[in-house]
Amino acid sequence: MRTALAIARKDLRQRIRDRSAIVVGVIAPVLIAGLMSLAFNGVNNFHFTLGLVELDHGPVAAEVVNALDAPQLRQVMTVEKVATEALAASAIKSGKLAAALVIPFGFSSSVTGEHPEALTTLTSNNDTIAGDVATSVAGSFVAQVNADRLAFATAVAAGAPKSDTSQLIGEVSRLRIPIQAIERPIGAHELKVISYYSPGMAIFFLLFTISYTARSFFVDRSQGMIERMRAAPVRPVEILLGKALSVFVYGVVSLATIALVTTAAFGADWGAPWPAAVLGLSLVLSVICLTALVIGIARTQRQAEGIGSIIVFGLALLGGDFFFISNAPSTIKHLALLTPNGWAIRGFTDLATIGGGFSTIVEPVVAILAFSAVVGAVALSLARRAVTS
Amino acid sequence: MTLASSPGATAGAGPADPHRTPVLDCAGLTKSFGTRLAVDGVGFRIFEGEVYGLLGPNGAGKTTTMKMVCGLLEPDKGTIRVAGEQAIGNLSVKALIGYVPQDVALYPDLTARENLEFLARLYKLGRRTVAARVKEALELTELTERGDDRLDSFSGGMKRRMNIAAGLLNHPKLLVLDEPTVGVDPQSRHAILERVQAFGREGLAVVYTTHYMEEAERVCDRVGIIDHGHLIAEGTRRELVAKLGEQDRISLSATGDLERLAEACRGVAGVTSAATAEGSVQLVATEGRHLLPAILEAADAAGISVTSVDVVEPDLEAVFLNLTGTALRE
Repeated sequence: MRTALAIARKDLRQRIRDRSAIVVGVIAPVLIAGLMSLAFNGVNNFHFTLGLVELDHGPVAAEVVNALDAPQLRQVMTVEKVATEALAASAIKSGKLAAALVIPFGFSSSVTGEHPEALTTLTSNNDTIAGDVATSVAGSFVAQVNADRLAFATAVAAGAPKSDTSQLIGEVSRLRIPIQAIERPIGAHELKVISYYSPGMAIFFLLFTISYTARSFFVDRSQGMIERMRAAPVRPVEILLGKALSVFVYGVVSLATIALVTTAAFGADWGAPWPAAVLGLSLVLSVICLTALVIGIARTQRQAEGIGSIIVFGLALLGGDFFFISNAPSTIKHLALLTPNGWAIRGFTDLATIGGGFSTIVEPVVAILAFSAVVGAVALSLARRAVTS
Repeated sequence: MTLASSPGATAGAGPADPHRTPVLDCAGLTKSFGTRLAVDGVGFRIFEGEVYGLLGPNGAGKTTTMKMVCGLLEPDKGTIRVAGEQAIGNLSVKALIGYVPQDVALYPDLTARENLEFLARLYKLGRRTVAARVKEALELTELTERGDDRLDSFSGGMKRRMNIAAGLLNHPKLLVLDEPTVGVDPQSRHAILERVQAFGREGLAVVYTTHYMEEAERVCDRVGIIDHGHLIAEGTRRELVAKLGEQDRISLSATGDLERLAEACRGVAGVTSAATAEGSVQLVATEGRHLLPAILEAADAAGISVTSVDVVEPDLEAVFLNLTGTALRE
């Protein structure tokens, strides 16, 4: 063990001396998590200006205007009246408006006729979200109007006198579609973007330890240092243990530092400290096993770098380090469950939203340990051969 | 004595004493890599205070043999005993061996002190012992002042000295030096060779592999000649030369009758042949240097004045050529 500690201490000293390790281990993940948080938090604070071209001035158009003035929509958009469709298009082009809604002339009177006029939304590729929101608002109003039309037609078909048209319209317009879809997260807390990307980026950069350490092993070997170590009374497994210890210390310090900094600076929620620590430790263990696997598979420094990079980016993409895994296609969601980082991110986000302490992380930790056991068993025999060859 | 300079160094300790326990005793070492037989039945013994040269061309099996001795390769067959202990698979025996690889095996991004401390810790030495050994190694290399400088700021010669000093951190009984002068400038090479001779005088058993015949002649008490994985001859230089019947060649330049001089020399005991050639007399003799007084006396008696004498002793190159039919550097 003393020998393994000496090797780990030496590796860490070299790693600290190589400043890129601090950049990769702490600075880059904190910065990128912060930037991603800023970028995606913008979605929560979304607000735009919608142009309204009201050419109809009828009662149904008035309903549209009232609908756009609803308190819920005021948080999302400001409505600005524009005289013509051409002016609205010009304002969108110049960026003054994000989108516009055009209520055509004769819209109200056409509602009860056989050829109803369409509500049109003018959108721009520069702000597709505003366009989608405007179209969605118009769509929900159109759905209501269509429901009114159906009710009106049903009443007329049932024998209501057409002379009472205006009364009928008044009646059906008071009806509202009763069924609503609402979103209610199962967690006690809403998941903040920073609480997803802080562990996501921390884990992504932790994965770089795999190629860094594997590369340093092959550099050691090409410099004759592995041979020199083996000429001393040192077992091959002690050399591997020393390398593993350095990865462990580096990984734990990196994760802990990023957790502290992102919590203090950006308000990230990593969940309860001890369960988060256990989750982090199990993840670091899987990184050690993956490092041993790369050392075992590769034959040269270049191969180690190549295989390491493939593993890092493959795991990061599948595990959801770059995007909310909940928004991914179902295939990716299933593949994420084959990756230790996918399970770790799931564990950290569950801790941040559901809470619940150790019971919350049992499943992710068991999955990560199972992954580590399988990879570690294969890697150990391969890596021993790499040390003695 | 330091690695940097060693004025007045002389040849190492005497030949093997069969009554002592050898520091290294290996026999029948055989190693194959796939279908290629790299080392075939090599065996030799080295005693305390002896510098043993393993001489052979590149690819002869020197490094493979040394790696087996150091426990870096497991032999397919054969035995290795170090200081009387069975070495194969015995981790503790490695503490008795100091290994100096051919290339500088040190971390360029660590300081000299950090490198030495790390390597000393591999031998599970206590903190104080580590500090003492590091100090000793820095003094040996005359690099105490540069101890806290990174190795990548050192000259090639300094790195070489450090490389050798690192092999001594565990105070080994057996020091294995694998071609330590390859790619070294003449000054550093001279210092290294002097230091190797000094190791022998200080009581270390040293194995020195080289393909430089003149290095083997200069520093080694005994030489084993290895070629194509076989140890084809072993002994002191004189023994090897004698075994092959090689004799010294003496060239005499003189004024006067050269035929008469040749005739006079033929009468000297130990001179095998004498002939005139290209304005000189060429003699073939055993122990030529010892015969010189008698030869000059015979010339004087014949009334011939000898103006110059050149004695050419047969070297290991000649021995190697004789044994293998090829020159050492081919």
